[in-house]
Amino acid sequence: MSTPGPERVPSTVKVGKTTGQGKPPAGKSGGNRPGGNRPAGKGGKGRKPVTPVKVAGGRNWGPIMVAGVVVLIAVGIIGYGVFASVQGSRPWEEQVADVKGVVNYRAQKNAQIDDRTHKEGAQTYVTNPPVGGAHSQTWQNCMGDIYSEPIANEYAVHSLEHGAVWVTYKQGLAADQVAALQKKVEGQDFMLMSPIANLDKNVSVQAWGYQLKVDDANDERIDAFIKATRVKASMEPGAACSSGNTTTGPLPAAPAGGATQ
Amino acid sequence: MISDVTSPGADTAPGVAAPSGNRFGYLGVALLLVGLLLGVAAGLVIPRLGNPGDDSVEAGFLRDMSTHHAQAVEMAMIAHAGSDTPQIVTLSADIATTQQAQIGYMQAWLRDWDLGPTGSSEPMAWMPGSDGSIVDGLMPGMATSDQMAALRKATGKQLDVQFLTLMRAHHLGGVHMAQEAVELSDDENVDWIAQSMVTAQQGEIQLIDSLLKQVQQG
Repeated sequence: MSTPGPERVPSTVKVGKTTGQGKPPAGKSGGNRPGGNRPAGKGGKGRKPVTPVKVAGGRNWGPIMVAGVVVLIAVGIIGYGVFASVQGSRPWEEQVADVKGVVNYRAQKNAQIDDRTHKEGAQTYVTNPPVGGAHSQTWQNCMGDIYSEPIANEYAVHSLEHGAVWVTYKQGLAADQVAALQKKVEGQDFMLMSPIANLDKNVSVQAWGYQLKVDDANDERIDAFIKATRVKASMEPGAACSSGNTTTGPLPAAPAGGATQ
Repeated sequence: MISDVTSPGADTAPGVAAPSGNRFGYLGVALLLVGLLLGVAAGLVIPRLGNPGDDSVEAGFLRDMSTHHAQAVEMAMIAHAGSDTPQIVTLSADIATTQQAQIGYMQAWLRDWDLGPTGSSEPMAWMPGSDGSIVDGLMPGMATSDQMAALRKATGKQLDVQFLTLMRAHHLGGVHMAQEAVELSDDENVDWIAQSMVTAQQGEIQLIDSLLKQVQQG
């Protein structure tokens, strides 16, 4: 980038030099413009040889080539900058869309799945396991918690809303498969794992509005799904996974009084 | 420069020098455009070059410390809700609010750098010599799920002692990670927050030690 500067300067400076030569003592101290313009006789000497040379030279390819190279470099740099920024900030929605087999329920605009209200009592969900919908005001603790028994959907959906990825597997899945899943979850906040009855595939992984069902716990798409959605899929940025419910089992029956709020 | 050069040429011999002046005019405009493009390009690229990358020490530290902090918040919230000791209720509120806010700082910087809040590399991969420091996915100082389950069940003096003991170990692990980050990172923000963690948590360890003595005597 700096080379074109110096290279271009000599070709233009020739003119400057010659005008400058005519007024070495006075011009320098007084500034170029007034000095160069006023002493007409001296300035004329310098100008006469220069202007014809320029015209006689015809097309001056040097500066044009330099300018061309500079433009190419500039385009290259801009291209790189754009590429880098596009690559770096590639939205997570596109990354999860690249994972084969993922179902994007957000795109379906299903009002029941998009429902984010807090409701008391058992809820009915469109999918099994659920990926969204009305849920309990309590969330299931999702600090990398491993639950060995089924948990309440109404709590887990609230965890999804907070940005957790919920790893579920068919109850009774082989121990080595469960262990492979557990390795992806333990120690990781915004992750939780539990078995589910009546699951149609061995493994189902879900974030709010997204689901991936596979038959093998070692399927690489599980990791890709987790990487793309964990925390990022949160509907409430900054919401935590701690202070949640840590027990298993279905939602406790509503108190006999029947709170209907 | 350019205007200086072209104007005298145009002054002296208007008829002959006109094409030359024009050419310099075009070149001048071209040069300005190129300069503009370069400026835009530099503006795009240079701030990006200064940002830590996806597998940098800075990104690794911010992601791992976010997870590490999250468990401290979890433990502190349990103690805050369950302890009967006023100093522990206050200490746990201090830890929970401070560390949750620091998670916000750390996640916001990752977002500023166009990096994901989570990474795909192993925990602590940014820290040299950390092989084997991860047990069951837990970073140094972190409580196991059994310890967390016991803490949730504990009450009274048991809760106080367990909380202080777990938080002491948690702080030791956190201080170690933060010291490594200060050592390895040259990002101003990361150095600032990591150093503040070292200072604050070392101070809290002293407080925890004195509280542990009080609680165990009482």
